[in-house]
Amino acid sequence: MNIIGPDKLIFGVDDVAACKQFALDYGLVTKDEQNYVSLDGTGIEILHKDDASLPAPLPSGSMLRKTIYGVADQAALDAITAELSKDREVKTLADGSIEALDDLGFVLGFQVTIRQTLDLPAETINAPGAAPQRGVNLTGVSKDFTAKPRSLSHVVYFVPDIEKAEAFYAERLGFVTTDRFTGTGPFMRPAGTLDHHTLFFLKTPPFMQGVEHFTFHMSGPTEVSQAGYALVEKGYQSFWGPGRHIFGSNWFWYFKSPFGCNIEYDADMDLHDDSWEAREALPGADNSQVFLLQSREKWAPGGPPGKP
Amino acid sequence: MGKLWLGNVSDIADGQAKGFDPNHSGSDTFFIVRQGNELFAYVDICPHYNDTSLPWKRHHYLDSASAHIVCAAHGALFEIDNGDCVQGPCKGQKLSKIPLEVSSQQEIWISLTTIKEFNL
Ligand code: FES
Ligand SMILES: [Fe+2]
Repeated sequence: MNIIGPDKLIFGVDDVAACKQFALDYGLVTKDEQNYVSLDGTGIEILHKDDASLPAPLPSGSMLRKTIYGVADQAALDAITAELSKDREVKTLADGSIEALDDLGFVLGFQVTIRQTLDLPAETINAPGAAPQRGVNLTGVSKDFTAKPRSLSHVVYFVPDIEKAEAFYAERLGFVTTDRFTGTGPFMRPAGTLDHHTLFFLKTPPFMQGVEHFTFHMSGPTEVSQAGYALVEKGYQSFWGPGRHIFGSNWFWYFKSPFGCNIEYDADMDLHDDSWEAREALPGADNSQVFLLQSREKWAPGGPPGKP
Repeated sequence: MGKLWLGNVSDIADGQAKGFDPNHSGSDTFFIVRQGNELFAYVDICPHYNDTSLPWKRHHYLDSASAHIVCAAHGALFEIDNGDCVQGPCKGQKLSKIPLEVSSQQEIWISLTTIKEFNL
C-alpha cells in the first residue's frame, strides 16, 4: 500500500469567514474559493457545516469531515480499493478518487497524490566544528517575514478504541507504528513516507471522537517560532508551545482555531525506515516535550528611552 | 472589600462577549457574555484540561449564531446562561460562573473578593 501521507483535510465549519482568514494568516495560499494550500499543494478545504456535498459528521460534531490520503499511483489506488472492498463499501467519486469509512467511522478518501516535489533548502545553522550550512555574509533571520507552510504533515484523532484504530491502519492500509504512548495511542506512518508520523491517536471516551489537531511542516524551528509569533501578534491564541517533542523530535507550536481543533506548526521531524524499533513511554508532560517555551510580547532590556 | 469597574453594559454588543485581564497577566482570565440586558460571566478556563483558555482570538468566545460559548481547542460547546458543556470533550462538566454587579446606571462591577476567590 504505497500511501504517501495526507493530501487534504476537508472541514465543515461554523464560521467560514473566520476559518478562511485563519488559513491565510497561518500562511496557506488560496487555491480556489474553498481550498487553501501549502507549498507542495497539500492543504485544507473549508466548507460550511451544512454544505450538502460534505460527508455526514461524526456524532461528536467534529468539524473534520474527511481525510484524503495521497497514494503513489493508480496501482496503489486499485490495491486499496481491492483491500477495503472486502468488507465495506468503496465509492469511486467523479474525480477518480475513492471514499470509504475506516473501522471507527472516520471518512477517508484516497487519490493519486497531488503532492508536488519541493526543491527548497531547510533552515540552515552554523556551529563550531561543522562546515557552515550558511555561507559567509548570509544572514540567518529577517524581520521581513511571511510564513510558508510546506506540506501537510499529520492529523491527530481522538478515538475510543486505539487497538481497533491501530489494527485497521496497520493491517488494512500498511501503516507502521513508530512509537507509542502507553494506553494513549500509537504514532503511525504510512509506507510511502519516512516521516515519524502522519497519524497519531489519543484515546478518549466515544462521545469525543474527532480531530484533535493537524499541522503543516515548516522549514525549521525559526520559522515555527516566527510564524507562531506572527499569529500571536495578529491576536490568535496559543494553546501549547513553542517547544520540541521527544517522539518525532519535531518542534511544535499549537494554536486554538475556529476549526474546532488545534492547528499546529511543526518542523524538523525524525525520519524512520522499517529497521526502526518502536519505543514506548508513559504519556504526560515529561515525555511529551524536551522543553516548553512560552511566548511573551517582544521585549528588550534597557527600560524606556533615555534611561542609562 | 472594594470593587473594580469593568465598563458599561453598552461596551459589549448584544450577543457578543468580552474578555478581561484585571491583573494584567497577559491573557484574559474571565469573560462576560451579553444576551439582551443580561450578562453572564465565567472563568476563562475550559474544563476539558482545566488549564487552558477558550477563545481562538481575543474576545471570540461565541459561535457564529451567538447561541453557545465555544472552546476553540477542541470545539466544546457551553450554554451561555449556565455554562453547562453540551457538546465536546467536557460534556457534562461546566464553566465556572462568576458573580457580577450591574448598577442602575448600567455600570458593570466585580468585587475584589470575587477576583481573589476565582484567582482572576
Ligand atoms: S481544551 Fe477546551 S475543548 Fe479541549
Ligand atoms: Fe502534532
